[in-house]
Amino acid sequence: MIGGLFIYNHKGEVLISRVYRDDIGRNAVDAFRVNVIHARQQVRSPVTNIARTSFFHVKRSNIWLAAVTKQNVNAAMVFEFLYKMCDVMTAYFGKISEENIKNNFVLIYELLDEILDFGYPQNSETGALKTFITQQGIKSQLQTKEEQSQITSQVTGQIGWRREGIKYRRNELFLDVLESVNLLMSPQGQVLSAHVSGRVVMKSYLSGMPECKFGMNDKIVIEKQGKGTADETGKSELGSGKQSIAIDDCTFHQCVRLSKFDSERSISFIPPDGEFELMRYRTTKDIILPFRVIPLVREVGRTKLEVKVVIKSNFKPSLLAQKIEVRIPTPLNTSGVQVICMKGKAKYKASENAIVWKIKRMAGMKESQISAEIELLPTNDKKKWARPPISMNFEVPFAPSGLKVRYLKVFEPKLNYSDHDVIKWVSLQLHSEMSAWPLDAD
Amino acid sequence: MPYLGGEETLRELRRALSNPHVQADPARYRGAVLRVIRLMAQGADVSGLFPEMVKAGAVPDVVQKKLVSFYVRAQAPLQPQLALLAVNSLRKDCAHPSPAVRGLALRTMCGLRMPGIQEYLQQPLVSGLRDKASYVRRAAVLGCAKMVKMQGDCEVDGALVNELYSLLRDQDPIVVVNCLRALEEILKKEGGVVINKPIAHHLLNRMPDLDQWGQSEVLTFLLRYKPRSEDELFDILNLLDSYLKSSSPSVVMAATKLFLVLAREYPDVQADVLVRVKGPLLSACTSESRELCFTALCHVRQILRSLPGHFSSHYKKFFCSYSEPHYIKCQKMEVLCELVNDENVQQVLEELKGYCTDVSVELAQGAIFAIANIARTYTEQCVGILTELLGLQQEHITSAVVRAFRDLAWLCPQCTDAVCQALPGCEDTIQDSEGKQALVWLLGTHGEKIPNAPYVLEDFVENVRSESFPAVKMELLTALLRLFLARPAECQDTLGRLLYFCIESLVSEGDKDVLEVHPDAPVSEEKELLEAHPDAGSLSLIPDVSLSAEQFERSWLSLDTSCQLCLPWAGPVHADTIQTALRVVHIHTIAMSRAGAQPWKAYLSAQDDSGCLFLTELLLQAADSELQVTVKQSEAKPEALQSFISALRTVLEAVAGLES
Repeated sequence: MIGGLFIYNHKGEVLISRVYRDDIGRNAVDAFRVNVIHARQQVRSPVTNIARTSFFHVKRSNIWLAAVTKQNVNAAMVFEFLYKMCDVMTAYFGKISEENIKNNFVLIYELLDEILDFGYPQNSETGALKTFITQQGIKSQLQTKEEQSQITSQVTGQIGWRREGIKYRRNELFLDVLESVNLLMSPQGQVLSAHVSGRVVMKSYLSGMPECKFGMNDKIVIEKQGKGTADETGKSELGSGKQSIAIDDCTFHQCVRLSKFDSERSISFIPPDGEFELMRYRTTKDIILPFRVIPLVREVGRTKLEVKVVIKSNFKPSLLAQKIEVRIPTPLNTSGVQVICMKGKAKYKASENAIVWKIKRMAGMKESQISAEIELLPTNDKKKWARPPISMNFEVPFAPSGLKVRYLKVFEPKLNYSDHDVIKWVSLQLHSEMSAWPLDAD
Repeated sequence: MPYLGGEETLRELRRALSNPHVQADPARYRGAVLRVIRLMAQGADVSGLFPEMVKAGAVPDVVQKKLVSFYVRAQAPLQPQLALLAVNSLRKDCAHPSPAVRGLALRTMCGLRMPGIQEYLQQPLVSGLRDKASYVRRAAVLGCAKMVKMQGDCEVDGALVNELYSLLRDQDPIVVVNCLRALEEILKKEGGVVINKPIAHHLLNRMPDLDQWGQSEVLTFLLRYKPRSEDELFDILNLLDSYLKSSSPSVVMAATKLFLVLAREYPDVQADVLVRVKGPLLSACTSESRELCFTALCHVRQILRSLPGHFSSHYKKFFCSYSEPHYIKCQKMEVLCELVNDENVQQVLEELKGYCTDVSVELAQGAIFAIANIARTYTEQCVGILTELLGLQQEHITSAVVRAFRDLAWLCPQCTDAVCQALPGCEDTIQDSEGKQALVWLLGTHGEKIPNAPYVLEDFVENVRSESFPAVKMELLTALLRLFLARPAECQDTLGRLLYFCIESLVSEGDKDVLEVHPDAPVSEEKELLEAHPDAGSLSLIPDVSLSAEQFERSWLSLDTSCQLCLPWAGPVHADTIQTALRVVHIHTIAMSRAGAQPWKAYLSAQDDSGCLFLTELLLQAADSELQVTVKQSEAKPEALQSFISALRTVLEAVAGLES
């Protein structure tokens, strides 16, 4: 299995090295540095074989995490493990950065000791780990009894992701839907392909072992119910927008009972404590594009570019989009920019090589435009500008995929609190991201 | 500051650790231990503190125990005598009321790499396996594997193995998986853990309780199990069905593998499985985790090998997006090449065309070669696109396109005409050796279809003196001779000039014989010359000698030196030039040191038609301006030896002359 785990900074200095197997020598640490981190060309593959040793690496900001093995392992599993490792570290000390890793190195060694034993992954759920990891320092004798009962409860409870005996004064549940739209546009403005990848993120602060049920307007469920009551389908067609969505594929957190999902399409689960990602999904059919972006670029001579970008909001006039931010990339040899926009504020940010245009609010079926004159420094560099895509960030009160939350129920059989006592925060305030590509001058 | 103060710091730490006031205050005590660990992590030698640290491990504080455990594991191999001290206190910890402490002590003891530790390990491990806390059992099970591994060749304890097999029925899922892992390691020599029917069925039933790591490992272990009957096989497949749609890609991939192996005899089931994993694989391919995406793409390529065109309807999923890293884009282009069919060829080519103008040279050329790959089936469209790209007049693009054309002209002769029409004008943009070679080859081989071919080659000949790549010169000579046969009138003068240049620079007798015939020789004679062997005198060397490096070494050591000579030599050696030049006269290079090595050596071999072997060593010492040549012969034939040496001398002198 995993023979060793190394963490390097961007210079290739080893921050953490933990070897689990005798077959991984000290020279493995250097081999990876020389062949991958210090290699001149771009990274050719996340898996590197050096002298019959395989190195699997992931990069988080400028930190390299590498897992090393001499055996033939399941590559997907090693990568998933590295992601998990990153998640766990983030849960403990926030962003993975050189400084944080240096400050927490004792904790990291402790973590590495618990999640991997002899190179085999052990319990890696953050919630459960909190009972073993003693970063804060617990007085052993006082703690022993409680700790013992917690650890034994994990044996009997069989739920690896939640420990028993959690108590909250206020039972709260947060649900956020985050979607990002990925758009491919031809230079003529046609939409070539679009897909939405979404995530349902929850924060649960619930006592005991609650059972939750989450319902959305999944097409298959709606159709099933529709068969029983024909009226309902009739109604739904009258309503505005689409009532159900076809999900191409979705994956769930391990707490969701997959058997129930397969048979009844219902999502029921005992949530882990704290923040977690309930599901990820992807849709490609009938995507509502909240905005249309029409870029026009004209080259005026060798040292000047004229850019005009029109955005049209494409939803009901009664709805409002908020915090709109359009990012128009500019060439690297830009010397100056003059912008005129009808609405909002626009600024050229030289450090980011982009014009950032911000609009606070925009109602549906409106149009707004920005025009900019970009002055270029003449260069001899023949290389073409890479033309990064125009990207857009905004919040709209509906989901581009059409996803709606139909219900979110909580049952706790043992403790005396019912569904009504839970304070639920279902946010359909969607953070969407849209990027259009390419912005073409030809 | 090396070792942060060295001796002084160590002494101060030792004082702190043994100070009763510090020991009485848990926070200060732990602070001191932490400082030791920090020093150790920075590479300082802290082995002197071993007794104090072991003592520090005997406090109730778990955090401190962990820190000490970390220290002990790192330091024990350096001082085995002192490590015994630690063993005692660790054994005491194995009976501690807290399971966390018991588990930690077991793990620490198994991690001590010192001889003779086994006898102390046995008893705590056995009681660990029967511990009531699962945490301890997990550590104990893997501890068994570590112990056996340390023992090396010793007989495996049968009772231990049986105990582990019975623990496969443990309540705790991680204990179960750890048991499998441990048994696999312990029984490695006997072929690993045995998966019989009861075990297999038990594991299948426990699958839902396991975490993703456990699931994918158990699926791998199940590969070993062979169901007895068809019914059983399909029962298993039904049970495992849901794992094909698991949220974890590693489980999906492990399950797919298991399905494919189990359904070995049912091709339709196998095909069905591949259809069913399409969704999960595609979503992994579009996931944000790049490394997983890469893994999934590699799997897709594997599947495409057995089911070509399987993902054809989803070709759009394999279009590259701007922000993806280089390695994913390359994989996606490879996949796109395989997916092309009549319906999507237009869109795929359109997309690939977009990548051809990418800023990254490597990616742009990759896209061009991908189009060339598709051109084997959809020749006309692709050649059209490639021709269009020539219009951009970008150096790297033109070079790649011309190289693609050369391969195409070879593989699909029907497109030669189109290729030939596109070529004029390329010569101005191409700068690199590969591209020039391809262009010259095309001009030479298909010169009769390109009106201005002789004139383009003429330009090359004009500039041959400033040409820096020897391979291009070689290609030029061949191409011009070929074209001369097709269009003698236009080429005669140019060829003459090139040959004259060759004679001038290669002062070679062997070649002079060939070259002096020209420029007034009739065409027929020239043809003969092309086919004639470039041999020297009475000796004729056969073109392909199959002599491995080992064989060469053996013969070299067994033979006596037949002849030794020194040749004048100045400056560095160009290995490629020598190798190419020698190959022309059928002398083969067996091995050669890299350029610039001191001393520089090369080993050559040749064989004449009577089977006599000539083995040669070239040696260039750093200080000398002489190349020492040692020749050995398998049969004593003085006449052949003389001819061989003169041929060799000719070539080497020519190369030396060319470079100086």
